[in-house]
Amino acid sequence: MKKQKGVSYAKWGYIFVAPFIVAYLIFTFYPQMLTIYNSFFENYRDGLNQVGPNFVGFDNYVKLFTPDKNGVIDILKYTGNTLILWLLGAVPQILVALLLAIFFTSYRLNIKGQQFFKTVIYMPNLIMASAFSMLFFTLFSNVGPVNQLIQAWGWSDVPIDFFARKFTVRGLISLMNFLMWFGNTTILLMAGIMGIDQDLFEAANLDGASATQTFFKITLPLLKPILVYTIITAMIGGLQMFDVPQVLTNGAGTPNRTSMTLIMYLNNYLGKSKNYGMAGAVSVIIFIITGILSLVVYRSLNRKD
Amino acid sequence: MKKIIALVLTVMMVAALFTVGGATAFADDEGKVFNIYAWNEEFKGFFEKYYEVPEGVTVNWIIVPNADGAYQNALDEALMNQEDAADDEKVDMFLAEADYIVKYTNSGVTQDIEALGVTDFSNAYTYTVQAASDNANTVKGVSFQCCPSALIYRRSIAKDVLGTDDPAEVQAQLDSWDKFNAVAAKAKEKGYMMTASDAATYRAFSNNVTSPWVDADNKLQFDPQIEAWMAQAEDFVANGYTQAAGIWSDECTAQMFGDGKTMCFFGPAWYFNFSMGNAQDPEKGCPGDWAICEGPAAHFWGGTWLLAATGSDNPTMLADVMNTFINDEEVCSALVENEAQFCNNMAVNQKYAEDPNFGSEFLGGQNPNAVFVDLAKNIKFENQTQYDQLCNEMLQDKAFREYLKGSVTKEEAMENFYKIINEAYPNVVTP
Repeated sequence: MKKQKGVSYAKWGYIFVAPFIVAYLIFTFYPQMLTIYNSFFENYRDGLNQVGPNFVGFDNYVKLFTPDKNGVIDILKYTGNTLILWLLGAVPQILVALLLAIFFTSYRLNIKGQQFFKTVIYMPNLIMASAFSMLFFTLFSNVGPVNQLIQAWGWSDVPIDFFARKFTVRGLISLMNFLMWFGNTTILLMAGIMGIDQDLFEAANLDGASATQTFFKITLPLLKPILVYTIITAMIGGLQMFDVPQVLTNGAGTPNRTSMTLIMYLNNYLGKSKNYGMAGAVSVIIFIITGILSLVVYRSLNRKD
Repeated sequence: MKKIIALVLTVMMVAALFTVGGATAFADDEGKVFNIYAWNEEFKGFFEKYYEVPEGVTVNWIIVPNADGAYQNALDEALMNQEDAADDEKVDMFLAEADYIVKYTNSGVTQDIEALGVTDFSNAYTYTVQAASDNANTVKGVSFQCCPSALIYRRSIAKDVLGTDDPAEVQAQLDSWDKFNAVAAKAKEKGYMMTASDAATYRAFSNNVTSPWVDADNKLQFDPQIEAWMAQAEDFVANGYTQAAGIWSDECTAQMFGDGKTMCFFGPAWYFNFSMGNAQDPEKGCPGDWAICEGPAAHFWGGTWLLAATGSDNPTMLADVMNTFINDEEVCSALVENEAQFCNNMAVNQKYAEDPNFGSEFLGGQNPNAVFVDLAKNIKFENQTQYDQLCNEMLQDKAFREYLKGSVTKEEAMENFYKIINEAYPNVVTP
């Protein structure tokens, strides 16, 4: 005689995750599939006339990977640009953030006015990227204050054209990204460090471990999950870098398109001609690159020693 | 019985009231909302000041700033949905600039304004009518202004370099590109720059092309005039006759101050009245030290056209607005006198050109209209395509300036130019 079978709670699990699944399917999965679908079509606007959609197979991809007269494959060049711009900003960003996070959480240093500093380092993130870029553009323009100082101090007789040199443009973009994001990373890493059991630090201290030893043997290994998360999210954000270089170089990625990022390239196709075919193909490539790189970073950092 | 009679009478009276009310309205069967698309407030100001809106009609302005093609995107969206839109939502009139006007005139989204009742173009400048016409010469709109672009020079520098600041004599020494280039060398010897931007002369060349940017087979081509500009820009930058900087850059506008060393600028009335703020600066500027002459080649710069949207539910008012701004003498005179415009009415402009009391303080008392009336007659609007805007802008401001600054080779600059064109216009074939 079976009277009662015990209450099944499994269905509640499904019910609770349902909103996410539904939202994911509608707002992420469906557009993603649509993008892939679109990338196989010729579909753009010529003035006011709609051309297509006509199925063209892999033509858009072939076009993307066709080298130009100088043998340069554009999309690879822009992938390289994006990665360089990201690394130039992200490496110092994570190192500085790690250092600051350790300072702020150290009970030995016990820094005064922590709240103030945390607010200050987070501040640049609150400024709109485009406004920040405009500010830098004005600061470093040929008749801007930086050049006026350089000339007043006698470092150079003619103004330095910061936007005509590869190193200065890339440097400025990286500097801005660094300034905007190191505060955010610091806060994340601090949360990670504060999540580590304080007993471990005390024990290490009692055993006479130096600060360096404590960092490499305790903080870093236990911080790894948060660090991996930080690096991967920073990388995805970096691959989607757009606003800062777009505004700073007025969409041109000067000089010689060496600061043109993947998303700026995508925007070139979408902006004027609503070229969903080519833009779709570029998006798919970005998706694949992001996937591969995330996997590489995840694997290499999470390797069991 | 009395009640019924009273009722009938009342009904009749009320009905009569309605008929009378209806008869006084502008056009009974036309829409009550007039929608105008624009990218800034300039024309809105003139419209509100000088156009009397018919009773019962509300004018609805949809203003989308021009930056990064946002205006055209919004407008295109609205025009493509025109058929399905409710009457009061339909675009009735929209504003367009010369750089992309062809896209709209050569398309079904604009309509023949002669059929609407705008038929008198005898006083309008030819190029403004050409610009608003499609390939079959059907006129689709009008411009309320005419923007002949003059050579604007510093009187003090001209005296030093040319020995005179009289517009007629300066013009005689600068009426061809050969003379212009030769004077540039002379100016350099005296420590001046001829222009403040490599692109300052661009439109003087590009308005006089004999072949379009994109030919019938959709192939991109370089007109000899464009090549001439490229050669001049190269030469001028290499010799220090100008600087590799945009027209709107701080480097260029800094040259407009009193201590600037640049002799020539190019631009229409709106340029020296509204865009040369540094020259008008009460402390650092130099108002009065300027004059204009025709320069080496007739050309225009800018200007706003009013185009009639197909499907407008206010055709009578549409025609009335257009007629007002080109043929109403009072309104056109007000534009010249109060708004510092060079209006699109030859008779009115001529009146001011001959008026000895009409002059500009900024130009040291010179009458700008006297120069513009002759200049405007020689302007052409030919060989335009819907691709011109980016071809013109990208060549000057993106691709070629990089070469002039020395950060890329000429081949790389051209290759980058073709890439920009390919990305923006997938069907244009580049070399």
